[in-house]
Amino acid sequence: MLFFSLALLIFGKRLNLRTPNSLLERILAVFGEVNVVLEKQETQQEEAEETESEKTSAAAPSRSIWSGNITIGLVNVPVKLFSMIYDKGVTFHFLHKVDGQPLKYVKMCTKDDKIVPWDEVVRGYEVAKNDYIVFDQKELNAAKPESDRRIRISKFVDYFSVDPVYFDRTYALLPEKSKDAYGLLLKALEKTNKAGAGRITLRTKEYPALLHTYKGALVLTTLRYVYDVVDPADFEPLHKLEAPTKAELDLAVKIVTDLSGEFDITEFEDTYMKRVQEMVKQKSKGEKIHIERPPEVEAKGLMVALRETLKQLETK
Amino acid sequence: MTEKLKDLTKVDLKNLDKIFYPKNKVTKGQVVEYYIRMAPKILPIIRDRPLVLTRYPDGIEGDKVSFFEKNAPEGTPKWVKTKVIYSTTSKRDVYYIVCNDLDTLIWLANLAALEIHMPFSKVDALDKPDLLFFDVDPEPPATLSDAAEVALLLKDKLLDLGLTPFVKTSGKKGLHVVIPIEPEHTFEKARAFVHKIGVELTKESDMVVSEFKDTKKPGKVFADYLQNSPMRTMVVPYSLRPTPDATVSTPLDWSEVKKGLSPTDYTISTVVKRTGNPWKNLFEKKCRLSLS
Repeated sequence: MLFFSLALLIFGKRLNLRTPNSLLERILAVFGEVNVVLEKQETQQEEAEETESEKTSAAAPSRSIWSGNITIGLVNVPVKLFSMIYDKGVTFHFLHKVDGQPLKYVKMCTKDDKIVPWDEVVRGYEVAKNDYIVFDQKELNAAKPESDRRIRISKFVDYFSVDPVYFDRTYALLPEKSKDAYGLLLKALEKTNKAGAGRITLRTKEYPALLHTYKGALVLTTLRYVYDVVDPADFEPLHKLEAPTKAELDLAVKIVTDLSGEFDITEFEDTYMKRVQEMVKQKSKGEKIHIERPPEVEAKGLMVALRETLKQLETK
Repeated sequence: MTEKLKDLTKVDLKNLDKIFYPKNKVTKGQVVEYYIRMAPKILPIIRDRPLVLTRYPDGIEGDKVSFFEKNAPEGTPKWVKTKVIYSTTSKRDVYYIVCNDLDTLIWLANLAALEIHMPFSKVDALDKPDLLFFDVDPEPPATLSDAAEVALLLKDKLLDLGLTPFVKTSGKKGLHVVIPIEPEHTFEKARAFVHKIGVELTKESDMVVSEFKDTKKPGKVFADYLQNSPMRTMVVPYSLRPTPDATVSTPLDWSEVKKGLSPTDYTISTVVKRTGNPWKNLFEKKCRLSLS
């Protein structure tokens, strides 16, 4: 309830707190110029059943990667952030053809081809060809922004006004503790078709971000910076495009119209991954390489220590 | 059939050859071995206490920063004991790790929890301290050697009062003196008592300061009483410290507390060789205080 009252104060209106419904109505009216008619959400149940039978989506992760608050002015909505995007693909490990042992990467000095231990590695920023300014990790750590545990929303925008080329990665937001504030914000965004624009610091990087709704959840999509996206107008060949004739354009428009349909993401699949998976199935019937990993040298010392300590603890 | 590492511990030990202390090339494996060897001395003292960890996943000079951890991390095995304590500052439940067995201690080492910290009370009576804690903290140019001088004054004072003080190096520049007591007083009273002793010490040595505002005065030794509070902690005896030499917070016999004492005499490689344990009978000598 606290969140509600704060929300109302922010939007500059002092309203009576009665039932959540009338309150929701009023807040929605403030959020956007929509005619608010509150009806029961009858669609949700159906949608849930549908996804049950299909099950083509990725598994939901069990651990959150971030928790904090969505901050809109003085209002805080506590949330947890979950990964929503997987980059599934085919992974292979490099093995030594001769004995099947896994290979590892090492860092080698380009001068004498000797392996360089990690504690002798520093980072160099190349200021000119072959000229570096050296940083150690402590210096770089000091420059990292602090995660301030906030998704700061500065304004609400039309979701479709943000071009998808800026979309980076989408995360699911789940309510933490108070479900009321979360539910209210979700419904308000659904009703208004608006998205919150703001920023978030994840790990050590600050991102522009869009807070929007997706299938009955609040989700956050981090955005790319304008300087990370190429402006196609900078491609030379696009500068002198010839205008088509009317007949050509009419024909092209007709083709596009004839082929128009609903977009269905489930029509697509990674055929390379599928073929490899089939090959794996085939091959696994045949011969498999089993690697007997030599025990780490350290482990031997540990086992001696463990036996001795276990004996000591027993006799106590 | 040959015995394997996993027959001896439930912990899935990983990356044992990773360097944790670059200066002396001490590996994670050596850190784990150290904690295994010290377990019989550490476990009785940290038993039933909610622990706070400082983790160094990439070693003390590593790529990632170290971090302070109170909450049991994601992926904590079911067999690790935890204690839920509501944090009034962060307004949420915190699941503290309680380490009562060897496997949990090994698991902590495997998490790169180089430093382990403990509060001065146990889970069943968190608001009643069973240890009084004097942090004898020298401000440079004062050294551990100066801290030793102050600790000896403190020791005499405490013995005069009929108390049994125990001492350890902090592993950095100071000394920690503790007195086991019956858990029957509040932290507030314990803190006031420790503070009072500190104030009395200032009368005996110009080197000693007893007030927090004076802590940064060069060359002074601060008798810190402020840690005697709920869920404030000290580094546990025999815990490693994140110093280049892999120093250890080492329990000492009072006879070892003297001029010339140096933190780097007590490290991951020397402490395992020490025979005996000056803190062995710590909780067998609980003092009863009458505090007003």
